[in-house]
Amino acid sequence: MFLNSVILVLQEMIEAALLISVLLVFTHLFQRSWDKSFVLRTSWVALSIAVGVLGAALYSYYTPQISEMFDYVGQEILNASLHLLSLLLVCLLAFIVPSAQLAKNTMGRARFAAFCMTGIVMFSIVREGSEIIQYVGGIAGQEENFTPVVLGGFIGAGIGVSTGVLLFYGLINLSANWSFRISLALLCLIAGNMGSQAVLLLTQADWLPFTPIAWDSSSALPENSIVGHLMYALVGYEATPSILQVSIYLLGIVLIVISPLFRKAWPQQQSLVGKA
Amino acid sequence: MKKYFLTPLTTLTMTVLLFSPIAGWAATAEIELIIKDHLFFPATLEIPAGQKVRVRIINQDPTPEEFESFELNREKLVVGNGQTVVFIGPLEPGEYPFFGEFYPKTAQGVVVVK
Amino acid sequence: MRSIRLFLISSILATLILFNFVAALQGYQSSMREADTLFDNQMLDLARLVSNLDVSSASSKDLRLGNNLSFQIWNESRLIAASHNAPVEPLQSFVPGFEYANFDGYRWRTFTRYEVPLDRWVIVAERTDLRFVLAENVVLQSILPLLLGIPIVGLLIWIIVSHGLRPLQQLSSALRNKGANDLSPILSADSRIELDQVIESINGFIQRLDRVMEREKRFSADAAHELRTPMSALKVQLHNLSEEIDTKHESFHQLQEGVDRMQHLIEQLLSLYRATPEQFAKNCETIDLYGITQDQLASLYPSFEEKEQSIELIGDSIEIEADKFALETLISNLLGNANKYTQRGGNIVVSVEDLGSEVCLRVEDNGPGIADAEKSRVFDRFYRVDSNDGAARAPGCGLGLTIVSHVADLHQARVEVKDSSFASGSAFCIYFKKKS
Repeated sequence: MFLNSVILVLQEMIEAALLISVLLVFTHLFQRSWDKSFVLRTSWVALSIAVGVLGAALYSYYTPQISEMFDYVGQEILNASLHLLSLLLVCLLAFIVPSAQLAKNTMGRARFAAFCMTGIVMFSIVREGSEIIQYVGGIAGQEENFTPVVLGGFIGAGIGVSTGVLLFYGLINLSANWSFRISLALLCLIAGNMGSQAVLLLTQADWLPFTPIAWDSSSALPENSIVGHLMYALVGYEATPSILQVSIYLLGIVLIVISPLFRKAWPQQQSLVGKA
Repeated sequence: MKKYFLTPLTTLTMTVLLFSPIAGWAATAEIELIIKDHLFFPATLEIPAGQKVRVRIINQDPTPEEFESFELNREKLVVGNGQTVVFIGPLEPGEYPFFGEFYPKTAQGVVVVK
Repeated sequence: MRSIRLFLISSILATLILFNFVAALQGYQSSMREADTLFDNQMLDLARLVSNLDVSSASSKDLRLGNNLSFQIWNESRLIAASHNAPVEPLQSFVPGFEYANFDGYRWRTFTRYEVPLDRWVIVAERTDLRFVLAENVVLQSILPLLLGIPIVGLLIWIIVSHGLRPLQQLSSALRNKGANDLSPILSADSRIELDQVIESINGFIQRLDRVMEREKRFSADAAHELRTPMSALKVQLHNLSEEIDTKHESFHQLQEGVDRMQHLIEQLLSLYRATPEQFAKNCETIDLYGITQDQLASLYPSFEEKEQSIELIGDSIEIEADKFALETLISNLLGNANKYTQRGGNIVVSVEDLGSEVCLRVEDNGPGIADAEKSRVFDRFYRVDSNDGAARAPGCGLGLTIVSHVADLHQARVEVKDSSFASGSAFCIYFKKKS
């Protein structure tokens, strides 16, 4: 029960922690040129966590009803929708963030970016949180399971949050240029992962056609090993992904990489980022 | 340029919309998997190779359970005293273990594809 | 925006938690593996024991085991003995070794053994959930303190980091509390190696600043002083000249006015630099603010009378610590300003008010007033408010209010410019600290 609850909580927590850290680094990088009053502090994180937890509670409360929708694939559809919405917001964010330095209407952009980030974190917490609530709520209620499950939950949460904190401080203590590049790279992986997860869920619900698996690395790095779990949380590692999943993953990365290129003034801005 | 930016998402949405009715019509074999006392019954599911199968998971325990398999790439929550559906396959012949993520010590099973 | 303390506390705590918890997980896994081996060895022993059981003498009732264990003894395909909780069909396929099986509504760890001399298959089974719970409870007891210790560790880290950062906080509060005119070096009695360089540099800057300011002050004071003698000579010459020529000439009149203004400027410059912090400390005494204001008003009364202005003094006697000469200069400058900038027949109200911890000296008039944009600039040296009606352009050098604010600074008093309670005009408020 203990190890199980560690893995389950850790997996969900580390995904959320990673996402929040990367987005906080963006906030941090651009706060100087952005509005200083509302969004740029960390208030959006608090807001999105609060709303996310509330949403997760509601989701888990209505899970019996939701899971019966669409001929028993309601959960897949809802989760896939949340993934796709987040992916859309991540793309918009990648589109808006690099231009925040030079644009005239920086305040509006900052608000918009904060809106995107709030949405991304909120959706992520609704998804991850509802699973934790389901698990802990369903299992910790039995007396003999209480101690191991709660203990495991705390250990998992501790590892997840600590990783996020260290990642955040590690990133903001780099030079602004590197910090930006690495955060963007991580955002790419997160976006790719979101797309790939959505595809997996829709395939599982039989809403998307089956595609053969692209590779099988289960002997080299099994998904249920510790490193496998960690890689799953960090980059969405799957030992046997389908071809469609891999394509969408790559598409997500490409989208994030090219979104900023649509702006003509990008090269100047990049140099400005370096000075920030 | 902006058109290109939106294209992949639009394509994906359209794919989802296009395939959903087709998938609904396709007749697929259904098998039942019962969860009772945190055990799977039957613990061995036999399915034919190269065919998509609809697995109806019926949870007779009051606690929720999560059907999970790394080999099948499936993860699905079943609420206490509820049921749900998971599509698996088409698969190559072989053994694909699955387990209940919430009670993995007892809830163990395997899909045998022949 | 970025706090060193927050960074240190959260990153140290995060590192600690990460390593401790991962180590705990590792420990848990290896302990559980050990426990598993232990249980398996027990099953081996049990199987050995059971295989040599004399089945003929034992009835099935005697073969009761705990609920967590079960066994069967098979000969060929015949069940010759079994524990009370075993089913009638084989628990496991007849392959020697450890395996898992589901029966009786539980999952069991099974061990199958073939006893060659007796031609028997022995299958022993143990409930996995029970043996798991047993092992886990033991292992978790060693993990629990790690988790419970985290809040204590967090508190300790917080205290240590805060303590470690205290010299930095002391330095910054020492800098913050430094008065604008206090150019004494920062004391570094309780210094740290890391901060020595910083304190040294700051003190170096302060020293250089002090020297520059001193030089500037001395230059102005010396220049003003040196100008006094030729100025007096000029006055004498002018007086002599007035005896000799026709003084009704307009140019002569202007010359006289110009010389007067210049003399006034020199006197003002001198009084500005006479009031230095060192002197102030020496000459500080207890003074009745109301009384001294009354005296200054009496001596300036002819000027008000000349412009037909009404002037009123409200308040009671209140004592403050002040330098008498400097305070007189301050009051006479404020009154002189009110007299100068208020139109003929205007009203001026002077009040001394007890505000509890502070004493407020307030001079307000119904003159043209000062625009908001200019309020902050009136204390600048040589700054003069431009009045639109040229007639009101009064003689002055633009140092009066600079002297007022300089004297107020020396007394650690606040100066505020507000709109007066009349329909128009300005109010100057000086808030002195009350004598304790």
